[in-house]
Amino acid sequence: MVVRQYNEELKYLEKINSYCWRIKKGFQPNMNVEGVFYVNSTLEKLMLEELKNACRPGMVGGFLPGVKQIANVAALPGIVGRSVGLPDIHSGYGFAIGNMAAFDMNDPNSIVSPGGVGFDINCGVRLLRTNLFEKDVYPVKEQLAQSLFDHIPVGVGSKGIIPMNAKDLEEALEMGMDWSLREGYIWAEDKEHCEEYGRMLNADSSKVSTRAKKRGLPQLGTLGAGNHYAEIQVVDEIYDKWAACKMGIEEKGQVCVMIHSGSRGFGHQVATDALVQMEKAMKRDDIQTNDRQLACARINSVEGQDYLKSMAAAANFAWVNRSSMTFLSRQAFAKQFQMAPDDLDMHVIYDVSHNIAKVEEHIVDGKQKTLLVHRKGSTRAFPPHHPLIPVDYQLTGQPVLIGGTMGTCSYVLTGTEQGMLETFGSTCHGAGRALSRAKSRRNIQYTEVLRRLEEMDISIRVASPKLVMEEAPESYKNVTDVVNTCHAAGISKKAIKLRPIAVIKG
Amino acid sequence: MEATFVIVGGGIAGVSCAETLAFLHPEKSIILLSESSLIKTVTNLHTITKTIIAFDVEESSSNTLNEKYQNIKVVHEEMVDIKDEHCYVLTKNGVQIKYSYLCLCMGAEPKLIPQYKQFPDRILGIRDTDSVEAFLNKLKNCRKLVVVGNGGIASEIVYKIQNTDIDWVVKDNHISATFVDPGAAEFFQDNLKKNVKSEKISKRMRYEEGETPKSGAALGPDWYKNLIIAGASSENSSKNVSIHYQAEIATIITQESENPLKVTLTDGKILECDLIISATGVNARKNFSTTNSLDYAANEGIKVDEYMRTNLKNIYAAGDICSANWQIAKHWFQMKLWTQARQMGCYAAKCMSGHLNNEEVLQDFCFEIFTHSTKLFGHKVILLGLYNGQKLDKRYELLVRTTKGLEYVKFVIQDHKLQGAVLIGETDLEETAENLILNQISLEPYGDDILNPDIDIEDYFD
Repeated sequence: MVVRQYNEELKYLEKINSYCWRIKKGFQPNMNVEGVFYVNSTLEKLMLEELKNACRPGMVGGFLPGVKQIANVAALPGIVGRSVGLPDIHSGYGFAIGNMAAFDMNDPNSIVSPGGVGFDINCGVRLLRTNLFEKDVYPVKEQLAQSLFDHIPVGVGSKGIIPMNAKDLEEALEMGMDWSLREGYIWAEDKEHCEEYGRMLNADSSKVSTRAKKRGLPQLGTLGAGNHYAEIQVVDEIYDKWAACKMGIEEKGQVCVMIHSGSRGFGHQVATDALVQMEKAMKRDDIQTNDRQLACARINSVEGQDYLKSMAAAANFAWVNRSSMTFLSRQAFAKQFQMAPDDLDMHVIYDVSHNIAKVEEHIVDGKQKTLLVHRKGSTRAFPPHHPLIPVDYQLTGQPVLIGGTMGTCSYVLTGTEQGMLETFGSTCHGAGRALSRAKSRRNIQYTEVLRRLEEMDISIRVASPKLVMEEAPESYKNVTDVVNTCHAAGISKKAIKLRPIAVIKG
Repeated sequence: MEATFVIVGGGIAGVSCAETLAFLHPEKSIILLSESSLIKTVTNLHTITKTIIAFDVEESSSNTLNEKYQNIKVVHEEMVDIKDEHCYVLTKNGVQIKYSYLCLCMGAEPKLIPQYKQFPDRILGIRDTDSVEAFLNKLKNCRKLVVVGNGGIASEIVYKIQNTDIDWVVKDNHISATFVDPGAAEFFQDNLKKNVKSEKISKRMRYEEGETPKSGAALGPDWYKNLIIAGASSENSSKNVSIHYQAEIATIITQESENPLKVTLTDGKILECDLIISATGVNARKNFSTTNSLDYAANEGIKVDEYMRTNLKNIYAAGDICSANWQIAKHWFQMKLWTQARQMGCYAAKCMSGHLNNEEVLQDFCFEIFTHSTKLFGHKVILLGLYNGQKLDKRYELLVRTTKGLEYVKFVIQDHKLQGAVLIGETDLEETAENLILNQISLEPYGDDILNPDIDIEDYFD
């Protein structure tokens, strides 16, 4: 990392308008394109303070500030347009979480990077609507929450709700939501309202290691991946009545279910396996990056293709996970209200992916190009009339689901033409987090503990605070700030606000 | 009698095995052979991460299993002989049970200090259900207690017992050595001398059982939860705990005094007491015969391969009775814990089912990384991987962060990669640590900042 005085660093940053900053070439070495990030005044402060902290002497640490990570991505081979930082950006492995970048498929030097997708591949959010209202659900929300992931259904379909053995898993990896459909867990129309119809066709389970498969199978006696969660939410505000109507949301108080899940351990293993392979490929093909964590391979190399095929398998796995949770949610509501899920109108409004790389057509400098778009902690947000969005949303633009962190509000946005032009049809994904801001203050003390540990004759290091804290000890980039910034910047448009009434951990 | 699957043992391993089989094969017959009419079931299963699962253990009447799964039949008999060439077992009362697949889950019995034979009335082994009953009865009249052992049960007894003076004899140089390092032990010290208020005062549910003593199953993780464990000293007297490090009991003699036992420790110290609790681990049970001999490991467990199979055809073993005899993954090791009893029981069921159906079985991922979730001295404790530097031969370094009374985080690092972790308190680091160990990502660039108290790393690796 280039170390300069904070004031020197600021010369490379330029505020274009109230919601958008430009990162000029030279901020980090070898930038092929410029960077850009979207912030409002609150987020701007957090963003700049992060950089300021990193400029202190002795702070050449491993956790790079978000702006630096955006600029390092801008130096990757084959990148086109700009390296884009979304308002919820925060420090992550390789790429910051909330960074999107597109690479020209027709440039032989273009790369694919697992760090640009993330470990929890196809981590995402799905929203189900119901025709119930808060008053119907509020009194029984505890029972609903209890029963949501409780029972493992036996005898629905021929197998378990999630792939339980090696053969089922292989099929699910290749088929994605078509597996769930075949096994009878979802409705055919669910697929319509999913990116890629819930199945990436280039998935190839033979490119996935046995260790990843083992890591993907459910732990014994549990329903599945663990650590996913769902929220029962009510519509709190409708900003765009027409768009909401197209999504089946009629008025305030209507109840929805939001499902958060990804590929968890399976995705972690796929990403880890690829990182190891790519470090070798980088040496062979002499690919240089500013940060070792940005391990990558040429898209057309064996390593690049193998990664894309196994990443697609992990994406399919995540869709199966969200489908299983959809099934359980429908079952739980049906049981509680003694009505069929159809009669409760429990349709999937939409399903979005946050951590994924996809081949898409975009206009760059007036020319149509085929690009590999990396979205990490970023959501696709296609505008009205785009051919890849379902017929129901052709006029409104693609619904974009923004989950707050557990317990805070969530939003539904829609894609815009401006977003298509500025950010390759991408927007934020949720709340963010400021580096150097822990959730809880800790009061570090060691003396006695250290004395006892030293008896073990093992080298010991202790973690200590290094940063000087200034004012607002705000750790989160609040989801409302994040969404308002996207709306004000025009890269997506607010449609609905949702407020949780129960959180269920799976 | 005859069944496709016969499981011997009503502890966590046996019941988990039977339940998993009942789920995988609702159409096949399953017999669970249990000496006691009480069985252990896992309740309140709570997945903390992919591989860390917390649960409670409940003791319930074996009827509950029948009610839940129609294809499980519980038979109260003691198995004495396995006719492995003809695929049936014989019980003490002469009942023959034919099996297609047999799984041995009889667990282990408490290892007692050698002086037990001299003073069977005053030395108690705590390991199984029946011994807790006996312990509670004896403790009522106890004023001075000696506890021997340094594992989870010994730690919890010392923590939970009220109104009694305790001498705690540990062979290591710090407490709770089975689970934690000296640093974490120091973190716990403050909690030791408090008289603990039991959270919920409830009478223990009792089920009718015959008079003859039977070997009960191992204790569950929360066996003491609803018990009031109190000695004979008055309510308000404070609790005195003296810890004797690096010591074991050398000799015990009786004396005419209020405290009838005089205990000499290996370091020469002399203690007086009226009761000794021995909680020093267990040995695998070996109270049956076979036609062909079973292969045992040096630690006396039955050797099992990566599919939990013993050397005898169609005979599997799981839980404390078995000894893992496969290529052990780097970050896993066997330990006699409820966690592993459950994992092995479930996994053995999956293997038997896979072999019956001729399906490929992938070894369960829980054998890739050691995990254990427990409570010690009132704190949530999560142990991951080589949490005490096991197998690393002292070639590792520690990175530590602690806030008194709140959290204790220890990372075991070798070659800049995380090998194990101890997480005490609400650290929110479980999943990140699990993934860092499994992924073996280099932590070199972060240095000490990986535990920098001002940075939360939990979503950095998402």
